[in-house]
Amino acid sequence: MQFRRLSILLTLFWLGLFVLVPHLLVVLTSVMTPDSEHLAVWPVSGESWSRLWEPIYLEVFWHSLWLSGITTLICLLVGYPFAFILARLPSLWRGVLLFLMIVPFWTNSLIRTYAIKLILGNKGLVNSLLVGLGIVDEPVQLLYTEFAVIFGLVYVLLPFMVLPLVSGFDKLDQTLLEAARDLGAGFWQRFRLIILPLTMPGVIAGSLIVFLPAMGMFYVADLLGGAKNLLLGNIIKNQFLVVRNWPFGAAFSVALILIMALMMWLYFIANRRINRQGGLHDESL
Amino acid sequence: MKLSALAAVVLLAATGAVQAQEKVVVYNWSEYIPEGVLDEFTRETGIKVEYSTYENNEVMYSKLKLQKGKGYDIVVPSTYLVSLMREEGLLHEIDHGKLGNIGNLSADLMDKSYDPGNRYSIPYLWGSTGIGINAKEIDPATITGWADLWDPKWQGKLLLTDDVREVFHMALKKNGFSTNTTDPEEIRAAYEDLRELMPNVLVFNADAPREPFLAGVVNLGMIWSGEVIMAQEENPDIMYIYPSEGAGFWVDSFAIPAGAENVDNAHRFIDYMMRPDVAAKAVEELGYSTPNRTAKELLSDEIRNNPVIFPSAESIRAGEFQQDLGDAMEMYNGYWEKLKTGS
Amino acid sequence: MKAFKRGFVILVFAYLYLPILLLVINSFNVSKYGHEWRGFSLKWYEKLAGNEALMQAFTNSLLIATLAATAATVIGTLMALAIYRYRFPLRRTASGLLFVVMLSPDIVLAITFLVIFIALGIQLGFWSLLIAHITFCLPFVVVTVFAQLNGFDRNLLEAAQDLGASESRIFLLIILPLILPAVIAGWLLSFTLSLDDVIISSFVTGPGFEILPIRVFSMVKVGVSPEVNVLATLLLAISLVLVTLSTLLLRRKKPQ
Repeated sequence: MQFRRLSILLTLFWLGLFVLVPHLLVVLTSVMTPDSEHLAVWPVSGESWSRLWEPIYLEVFWHSLWLSGITTLICLLVGYPFAFILARLPSLWRGVLLFLMIVPFWTNSLIRTYAIKLILGNKGLVNSLLVGLGIVDEPVQLLYTEFAVIFGLVYVLLPFMVLPLVSGFDKLDQTLLEAARDLGAGFWQRFRLIILPLTMPGVIAGSLIVFLPAMGMFYVADLLGGAKNLLLGNIIKNQFLVVRNWPFGAAFSVALILIMALMMWLYFIANRRINRQGGLHDESL
Repeated sequence: MKLSALAAVVLLAATGAVQAQEKVVVYNWSEYIPEGVLDEFTRETGIKVEYSTYENNEVMYSKLKLQKGKGYDIVVPSTYLVSLMREEGLLHEIDHGKLGNIGNLSADLMDKSYDPGNRYSIPYLWGSTGIGINAKEIDPATITGWADLWDPKWQGKLLLTDDVREVFHMALKKNGFSTNTTDPEEIRAAYEDLRELMPNVLVFNADAPREPFLAGVVNLGMIWSGEVIMAQEENPDIMYIYPSEGAGFWVDSFAIPAGAENVDNAHRFIDYMMRPDVAAKAVEELGYSTPNRTAKELLSDEIRNNPVIFPSAESIRAGEFQQDLGDAMEMYNGYWEKLKTGS
Repeated sequence: MKAFKRGFVILVFAYLYLPILLLVINSFNVSKYGHEWRGFSLKWYEKLAGNEALMQAFTNSLLIATLAATAATVIGTLMALAIYRYRFPLRRTASGLLFVVMLSPDIVLAITFLVIFIALGIQLGFWSLLIAHITFCLPFVVVTVFAQLNGFDRNLLEAAQDLGASESRIFLLIILPLILPAVIAGWLLSFTLSLDDVIISSFVTGPGFEILPIRVFSMVKVGVSPEVNVLATLLLAISLVLVTLSTLLLRRKKPQ
């Protein structure tokens, strides 16, 4: 009895004090009034929330969503065929390649982002190749552009997409495909009717695991994008540490959490719908 | 039972022993202390230095406020922040009696309006923000002032420091206004001007503006004087130009936060930094100017006569020192956000 | 078709590894700039070892990572167990909260930690850093351990209960040995996450306790620095070791 009580209490205590209460406090702060001396004071004020709707901030929301969306899409376009190929390899190769894919994931993301500067800089690898091969006369400006930011985000997040996808392909029942082939279904038919629907949970999980962190990775944009465009993360950091308008920064954070919650809710709905259609049930979450 | 008591005593003694060593906690700008100085200081005084860095005044100020002035023994604010922090009671008074080397400092930079009598700050380094240029790629004769940066032929080619005051300084000076203006009309006019400049900007950098120059990514932009000196070690083509409308001047000083725990050690640290050889080393390595007379005597002629490090009286007159703007900062910050969201 | 597939896979790996390999190669390059190879040298490694501030930050990071990983593993295992095994009010809320932490962007988590530490009056420094690290590692431990608990044979547990074994004995003697690979994998994952964290740490750390990712961040922003190349190589080596360990461990659980 004691052990059971201990583990339950520990769970509730830690999550309550360090997750639930802080989040509630942030929501609370977002409706307080900003004050340069005490950071946030009563009375309650809707000022911060109404400011969120100003065009420049909506622009920031849109830009962050757009960047994360493109990153997720590219990761999907590259990751899906990759996982597809990987899943059909003999076990030894699969293990090795999967291992190789995970190693970067476990390496410090800052350093990996920094490494990209070496590749995209004017004197970097890509430009040296382009100029050396005579494709262009002068180095192309690759660094400090939107392209570099997306390149960097995909670079950091690609393993996050591949791992759930491979897991999804793992659960694909080969006998189904063989049966379909025996029945005369062509490749695209098999893909459209069997493979795609059955790997959909993996696709959705992977997309979520890429999209959500991408929304917060403003340092990649700072390092590779030239710090020209403020993203959600920049604004929040700015409001808390530089401008010291805590209610406004809090309102932004809450808005971000709400967007996240929306995505997760969509995930659950999509998952449930797929299950009802007879797809595979992903139990790990 | 006895074993755990023994363990507790040992643990307590161990932590006690660790804390017994003298220390001073220093919070400074990144890349703002010559190599080896901290080790030398520890070797001579036995005081251990716990060192961390920040990239702009605001972050330092915010952290200090969050911790109610506790935790750090030394911070290095710029002039306008000294006056702000002084008024808010965030700084500890400095006992000049404990600073034997204070006579080394030139009177020119002491007893200024932002800190009368230097009761709360001791100047460390000062410098300017002007135009950086790669003389090999661009003819320096063609660039004489801030206004030249607005030329459309520099589209996507400029570097600016990531600092709201300095970027606005450019536009304000270009329009003949003071860099310390609180007039909403003037600030708005500067903002409109800056909006037109944005397409020319390739990158904002507040950590090491020389890096993109050295990497060949930019050849023109705003830069701090010391950065150019440091850059010249690796690429002598990088030059510094004092803009005709006026460069921005600033002084960074040592200050002791109100809640500092090692006040005596902080004083010893400041005193050490005012030694002529240490101050001279700072100039040689970091490229900024020193208020320290005795240090200046130790420097080579080449450095002493270098206008980038020691600007002429004329350049100083044309330029302007930053001061605290109080509530007007809100306007500046608002426009800054607008500029940075590409709208 | 096969050549196309092979080419594609190679291309993807080239994309992932080329930048890192460049760093590794350059860490041995005599030249400071890495635009041309000027000869093999270990001098940057020596320089790094002599950089006391960096070494201090590195040790601090290792300390926090080890402590946080250990605490997170202990707490997380107990949490996974509680959620899996026991019915209690707010059980769903608990897993929901863990989910929130796992998917929240770092900046949002950083803010929540800042706010609670200020509210509780906890001075920003070692303890605030540790608590924050433990908290964001927890969901990953829980998910890993939970996944392994899921494949558990409930009959074993019922049999033990019928025989009158107490909960703690059941845990220590039956459950723990069988989930040990997942627990260790959870530890390794937490260790990596802690070493990698920049944003949260920069918000909740205090004076005098500098950790590695923050120093790396300032160095990386300053630009090309051979010390970063060396650091990258070392960290890469550490990840290789960690991943190998964790893969081997999780492999062992399969033949059951």
